Amino acid sequence: MIATHDLVKTYGSFTAVDGVSLEVPAGEIHGFLGPNGAGKTTTIRMIAGLLKPTSGRVIVNGHDLAGQPERAKASLGFIPDRPFIYEKLTAGEFLRFHGGLYGVDGPGVGDRVREMLELFELTKWEDELVESFSHGMKQRLVMCAAFLHRPQAVLVDEPMVGLDPRGARLIKEVFRRMASRGVAILMSTHTLEVAQEMCDRISIILKGKIIARGTVADLRAMAGDPNDQLTAVFLKLTGGGGLQEIDEIV
Amino acid sequence: MPQPFPYLLLPSIWASRNRAHRRERGDLLRALLFGGIAALVAVAIFVAAFWIAWQLADYAELGDYLLRIGLSWLFLSFLSFLAFSGVVTALSTFFLSDDMRLLLAAPIAAHRLFHARFLRTLAHSSWMVIVFLAPLLLGIGLARCAPLSFYGVALLTIVPFSIIPVALGTAATLVLVNVFPARRARDILMLMGLLFAASIVILLRYIRPERLLRVESLPDITAFFATLQSPVTPLLPSFWAGETLFASLRGGRDLLHFGALWTTALMLVVVVGAAYERWHFAGFSNAQEARKARFTRLHALDRAAERLPLSTVRRHLLIKDLKMFLRDVSQWSQLLLLLALMLVYLYNFRVLDLERIPYMSGIVKNVYAFVNLGMAGFVMATVAVRFVFPGVSSEGAAFWIIRSAPISMRDFLWSKFWIGLVPVLLLSEVLTVAANELLGVDPFLKVVAAIAIVFMSFALVGLATGLGARYPRFAADNASQVAGSFGGIAFMVIAVLFVLVTIALLGWPSSVYLFHQTRRIPLDGMRQAQIAASFAAATFVSLAAWWFGMRTGVRALE
Repeated sequence: MIATHDLVKTYGSFTAVDGVSLEVPAGEIHGFLGPNGAGKTTTIRMIAGLLKPTSGRVIVNGHDLAGQPERAKASLGFIPDRPFIYEKLTAGEFLRFHGGLYGVDGPGVGDRVREMLELFELTKWEDELVESFSHGMKQRLVMCAAFLHRPQAVLVDEPMVGLDPRGARLIKEVFRRMASRGVAILMSTHTLEVAQEMCDRISIILKGKIIARGTVADLRAMAGDPNDQLTAVFLKLTGGGGLQEIDEIV
Repeated sequence: MPQPFPYLLLPSIWASRNRAHRRERGDLLRALLFGGIAALVAVAIFVAAFWIAWQLADYAELGDYLLRIGLSWLFLSFLSFLAFSGVVTALSTFFLSDDMRLLLAAPIAAHRLFHARFLRTLAHSSWMVIVFLAPLLLGIGLARCAPLSFYGVALLTIVPFSIIPVALGTAATLVLVNVFPARRARDILMLMGLLFAASIVILLRYIRPERLLRVESLPDITAFFATLQSPVTPLLPSFWAGETLFASLRGGRDLLHFGALWTTALMLVVVVGAAYERWHFAGFSNAQEARKARFTRLHALDRAAERLPLSTVRRHLLIKDLKMFLRDVSQWSQLLLLLALMLVYLYNFRVLDLERIPYMSGIVKNVYAFVNLGMAGFVMATVAVRFVFPGVSSEGAAFWIIRSAPISMRDFLWSKFWIGLVPVLLLSEVLTVAANELLGVDPFLKVVAAIAIVFMSFALVGLATGLGARYPRFAADNASQVAGSFGGIAFMVIAVLFVLVTIALLGWPSSVYLFHQTRRIPLDGMRQAQIAASFAAATFVSLAAWWFGMRTGVRALE
């Protein structure tokens, strides 16, 4: 459903993403992990059509993003890490507008908007301006927008930031249901517990390159200890040791 | 079924409607103030245009000729303004606007996105020109008893006339963003600002309007008209627009130039649209790169600050504010534009030869000295609202650092005050002293004006700093938004009143003094007391405004 082939992005002499190839089939939740600055967001933005790859291809639902951008994007839902929402629109207006961009129009759109607002527990805020929303509410509103047009693939960049435990549980449940209905989800996250709990497979990116890929069990095996928590596996694979110096500095 | 491109403009329309329905504090005051000023300006433009067109009617063919050249000049000025404005606006609407991330992720055809964004760029770039032109053309039309069709033709002329330079500006932005690294986009903008300001100065120098004041140079009047006409080339859309309107004003039709306007405008939209479909994504993608910090090595600034007799806290606040200002090109470009306008203003005084006005030159000069003081006051108020008032708000989301640090709010605000005072005082003092020197005003007035500027600077900067702390807008995207907020408007109202009161309190005793001095009449004790009281009142008003502003600000922060 989502596939990238040898995706490269360079900024001058700096290579942010270096030959990333991913494949997320329908119904899979694919975790995309890596330390800060590893290239997760750059990769996701290239798949979303916000950044032009220096080289490589992105295929969404069988459509090449470069050749058929509208068809590819029509199948995609995108939840960015720092979402933009028109502050002076109400939640309902924003969703209707967003739906229109994806061709969701006509008499049924009102019902669909209310369905999504209800699902993400925002019904009573439908007629309130977005500027009065908390960060978590804005995050949920963006998720409403991303799922409104029934996408076949969803890109999520740091979904749990700013969400309270109830919100986080809701989002996990929604993602699981969506995946069970055949939606492919590519999710970047720093919350390793979430990745461990939800993802069918995980790719770990470091300095722009995929260094490991597989199920949680596969990653444990790669790290050399089948009983490790994902945090320990992650640190071993990405070289995140060196904590012994803290005592000296503190 | 894809929505037509105007659908993409819906958020702006809905947002405007929501703003109107859900008024915030100060919205009404702002609307009344801006509406009132706009109405006054429109009436003034209408009256001036009507009067000039009416007077020119008395000079038969010469009047027609001057009107024709005047229209071409007017459109030529707007052409350059619109092209520059198009470049600046397109950079924002096509590349830097936040909602582009939302729209580009959606399945929207490139040509639809271009048309929607271009319409937005056109509206943002040209509304000021249209607002200016509407009363002007109405005034000309009514004065010359133009047929009704003139107004229709005017509308149909302004539209393509605006499209052409904005499309060219948009194309220039596309080239710039693709050719240069995107992080330099704002640097380029600053360069454009400088070029635009320089072009204004050159333009003014080119026509040398001061020659009209020289009676003995009247035989050169034909050379003057030749100079006026020389930049009006038939190849520019400004000429086409002027000719179309002039023909229509006299009840005729100039289909050639009208056709040239529309065909060029439509052709440009098609060509620039195609270029955008091809190169916009690459340019937008570049624009996502982090901007490189400018002036990253400012060791000289650090060293200079260390020599100042300041506490550690104040020194670090000063360094931080200066570095942030130097790295924000939008601040710089506006300040440079203002400096360029100041140069034009001073240049006018240099070439204004008032000695040639018989008998009155002394009085005119001294009146000018007060006009100049008033102008300096308004310049100070404008600079203060744009650069000093947002001082506290500019801390933005980082204000928690100041709040949680062991710094008193009094220290913090006074630091903001001094940082604002030095440039404002220097700027306005140079403006006033230089203008008075160039005019050759009475030495007494030179001293009064120079001292008055010191007091006015303290008062206006104190008011701006204090009210900026009283009405902060930490969530604002830029300083202009803060300046346009309720607090900013309130400051401008108070500042204008303050300047007017000060000018009145200084003007009356100065005129009495000069009157007695010119006629060599000694001032009696009563008059001297009245003069002293008036100057004391002006001093008191300044000190009170300064004290009130800072006290309000410190209290609000505490």
